[in-house]
Amino acid sequence: MTLADEVWVLLEEALAVYRDSPRAVAWLRGHQARFAEPVRVAVAGAPRTGKSTVASALIGEEFVPTGTFTWYRDGMRPRATVGPHEVPIARRDGRAFVDAVDADRVTVEWPSRSLREMTLIDTPADAPVEQVYGEADAVLYLTRHVHSTDLRYLRTAHDHPVARAAPVNTVLALARADEIGGGRIDALSSAKQIARRYRREAQVKPLCQNVIAVAGLLAVAARTLRAEEFAALASLASLPRTELEDHLLSADRFVGEDFPIRLDPSVRQGLVERFGIFGVRLTTTLIRQGFDTQVKLTGQLVQRSGLGELRDSIGLYFTGRHDVLKARSALLGLDVVLRNEPRSGSVGLAVGLERILATGHDFRELRLLAALQGGRTKLPGELDAEASRLVGGLGTNLLARLGMEYEPTEGELRHVVLDTLGRWREQAANPALDHGQRRAASVVVRSCEGMLAGLS
Amino acid sequence: MSAPWLDVLDDTIRSCAAHNRPDLAERLREKRARQLDPKLRVLVLGEPKQGKSQLVNAMVNAPVCAVGDDVTTTVPTFVQHAETPNAALVRTIANTPTERIPVPLDQLASQVGAAHTGELVRAEVGIPRALLTSGLVLIDTPGVGDLRPAHTASTFAALLQADAVLMVSDATAELTASELELLKQVMTSCPNVIVVLTKIDIAAQWRRVVERNRAHLARAGVTAKLIPVSAALRLRAAKTGDKALNAESGFPELLACVQRDIVAAADELARRTVAVTAASAIKQLVTPVREELQSHGSQGAHATIANLNEAQRRIDELRRRSARWQTVLADEMADLVSDIEYDLRDRTRRILREADKTFETADPALGWEEFETWLEDNLTEAAATNFAWLLDRSAWVAEKVARSFPVHRDDLLPESVFPADVLARVSKMDKPVIEKFGVSQKLFTGLRGSYGGVLMFGLVTSLAGMPLINVISLGAGALFGGKSIMDESDQRLKRRQGAARAAAQRHVDDFFIKFSKDFRDAARHIQRSLRNHFSTLADELQETLLESARSARRAVQDDNTERERRAREAKLELDRLVQLYQRVQALGRTPPLGISA
Repeated sequence: MTLADEVWVLLEEALAVYRDSPRAVAWLRGHQARFAEPVRVAVAGAPRTGKSTVASALIGEEFVPTGTFTWYRDGMRPRATVGPHEVPIARRDGRAFVDAVDADRVTVEWPSRSLREMTLIDTPADAPVEQVYGEADAVLYLTRHVHSTDLRYLRTAHDHPVARAAPVNTVLALARADEIGGGRIDALSSAKQIARRYRREAQVKPLCQNVIAVAGLLAVAARTLRAEEFAALASLASLPRTELEDHLLSADRFVGEDFPIRLDPSVRQGLVERFGIFGVRLTTTLIRQGFDTQVKLTGQLVQRSGLGELRDSIGLYFTGRHDVLKARSALLGLDVVLRNEPRSGSVGLAVGLERILATGHDFRELRLLAALQGGRTKLPGELDAEASRLVGGLGTNLLARLGMEYEPTEGELRHVVLDTLGRWREQAANPALDHGQRRAASVVVRSCEGMLAGLS
Repeated sequence: MSAPWLDVLDDTIRSCAAHNRPDLAERLREKRARQLDPKLRVLVLGEPKQGKSQLVNAMVNAPVCAVGDDVTTTVPTFVQHAETPNAALVRTIANTPTERIPVPLDQLASQVGAAHTGELVRAEVGIPRALLTSGLVLIDTPGVGDLRPAHTASTFAALLQADAVLMVSDATAELTASELELLKQVMTSCPNVIVVLTKIDIAAQWRRVVERNRAHLARAGVTAKLIPVSAALRLRAAKTGDKALNAESGFPELLACVQRDIVAAADELARRTVAVTAASAIKQLVTPVREELQSHGSQGAHATIANLNEAQRRIDELRRRSARWQTVLADEMADLVSDIEYDLRDRTRRILREADKTFETADPALGWEEFETWLEDNLTEAAATNFAWLLDRSAWVAEKVARSFPVHRDDLLPESVFPADVLARVSKMDKPVIEKFGVSQKLFTGLRGSYGGVLMFGLVTSLAGMPLINVISLGAGALFGGKSIMDESDQRLKRRQGAARAAAQRHVDDFFIKFSKDFRDAARHIQRSLRNHFSTLADELQETLLESARSARRAVQDDNTERERRAREAKLELDRLVQLYQRVQALGRTPPLGISA
């Protein structure tokens, strides 16, 4: 029985126990329905960290922030609802705008490939951490620069028994990476280095699965690049570098008078608002370097803005772990019911919940991964990295787990899995390792056995 | 010329010392020394990655502070005037005095980042700049709210020395809640703040951010100038000598502002700084004084009043109990006396009956001596038994009284309360008069008896013709004589017995009266000594309790007077502090103290 099946059975049992409590039944049915949905990813963070921008970049359409919880789902046609009522989606300065001032929650259906596997939730800055983590299965936390208040927020989110037992659902993003270093042309690579440093930071490591840098503004501009914008950028790039540089010194200079080429100030204003001064600097440089078609430029911008890496991370940690994230959310929801309405049958349910959390192999893998990343468990030498790879630290598919970069044959694959299994069996009984390390090794062994079972 | 603020500061320092707050006094003294120091310390402060170091560099037009994309500044950097450019690191190694290590200016950044033995306290840079000649020191600080608390701590330590603060926030976003919080915190220790909005070159919307920030500041009640600048433009302008670009960077305005508001207004600044620090110190002093005034030291008073109540309760208890023990003693002793008397009477009566029975048959003339011994022995035994009983009973009574006594003490029972001379001997028994029935008396009695017989039978026989004196009359006479003698001796025996009985009766009565008197005396003696004993104890006890009550009452009274005195003092002290505060207020704008003098 897979983890999802076990959780489903437990939810069914809970429904039977609570069949006379309408509130509990509604809550549990909600969680059952949620179980089948795509992973819900909330974009959270302090004010002005670019939450809506990053959400827009992921969807591929620029949305005006609504100032409230906005759910973006996949749909056949663009459609926005507040509660049961449909609200119009207007266009304002080329951006999609949903007019819902006082709504608690806006649901936007938008045809987008990225939304097929996940539901995005754009949260307001002042949203309580419990609500964000309660409604979403996973959280993309944005910050301009990791501040102690950010850590406080994330620590609060992890302060729950189920959350501790299944510590996977946060990716930290250094948003607005383009502003680093005063908008220098190499700001993004610098931002990536900073993200790498935070990934190793002892205080940050246990709170999130990955830290990445992303330039939201650039990403959304890249994904929604318009032909006239490209034309304007291309004409800018045609200017001599030094001459353009003077006018790109500041945003004020860029939109100011006496511009060397005929480009309407409103167009320049639009460019600097959409791309940022850094974006203009980067795009003109890129065009000069030969990315001189709109397609080439878009591809380059998506890659440079960190959007690609962000998508990879979401795929690896969120959509790739769909089952376990859903199970985790359902168990959290069940836990709420059990704590709020204790009754005779709920003891058995609590035991079942505890059992799934303690023995579910996916959860054990996650715990081991968190322990390895957080440095609580340390394996000697190469084993450390291999263990975290085998339990799915770099991706949960077979090749990612085995770290194979080519397409192997069935026999090869079996051989590698058997070899790995044998080595880790030895480690699990290695007297030189301490108890915690041997337990970690036995979790790895179980993962290898799972892979072997998947092969045959 | 001593500035007026100096007097106020000195008074405040004295008050701090008087209120046992050497820490505050020390802080104020540092402040005082710094205010007298011609150097003007301007702290450049803000959250990480807002462009603080770049701002300092742009102000002095030289790359003196390390600038990087990631968190760069780890120690405060002091930038001050020097004839020739120089740089040094100041470090401390575990409790030793700080040590100054000169380093080349261009290697300062890498040296700061390099590993050091001990702990780096700060970096110092000297460069020749007109701006700094007036004694201005720019202090670049590590960002506040960084993941490493040590950075934040060193910034706050530097804040204590600051005369003015440049709060840095970049123009890409409005002031955040944490920045406003930081700003308020800064205002409490250094009120001379200029908010500098950096990076306006990359923020297209910086004018809107300026507007919003002004609104934020107004809402937070912070009166600080807000100057938008761009360090990038300034540095570029310095490189190219472009005047227009320099003007665009906002730095001329910032430098003018620094010159005008900080350098030229040093005295004003000092006054404001002193006002704020002195005000915060006085507030700290006022709080305990006010608390004391409000609470009236109630905690101590509660304890003493509780003591007093306890003592009084115990005295009442003792009084109640002592009434009881006296009743117990009186009742028990009355019972005892009547019981003992009855017992004694019973015993003597039994002895008397025995004696009576004896003398019904026995002739006292024959066994008087024996009888006397027997009676004496019996009576003595009765008296002894009775007395033993008296002792037992009185001991029991003493215990009972002791039980009803309110406290237990080891010496509660009297050692001995019994009179030593209870059993004084009774006077010797009188021997009854025993008449002797001698031969002559017997003869005489016989003759008297025989006379009638001779005469009677002589007359009868004379009728028969026989002489008056004949054999028959003589025989009858002899017979009658014999009978008379016997009768006489019988009567005498009876008389003797009666006399003996009476003597015994008398003796026993004497004994009884004597002994019952003795027993009564003894009982009364016992009662009296028991009463004396217990009342002495009770008196002692009462005295002790009264004393403790008195001392408790005294304590309460003392407390009251002491408290009143202290309250008076506290009031005076509070008045003094309030006056001082008013003087401080006169120096500069400070919030009201929130108390009525």
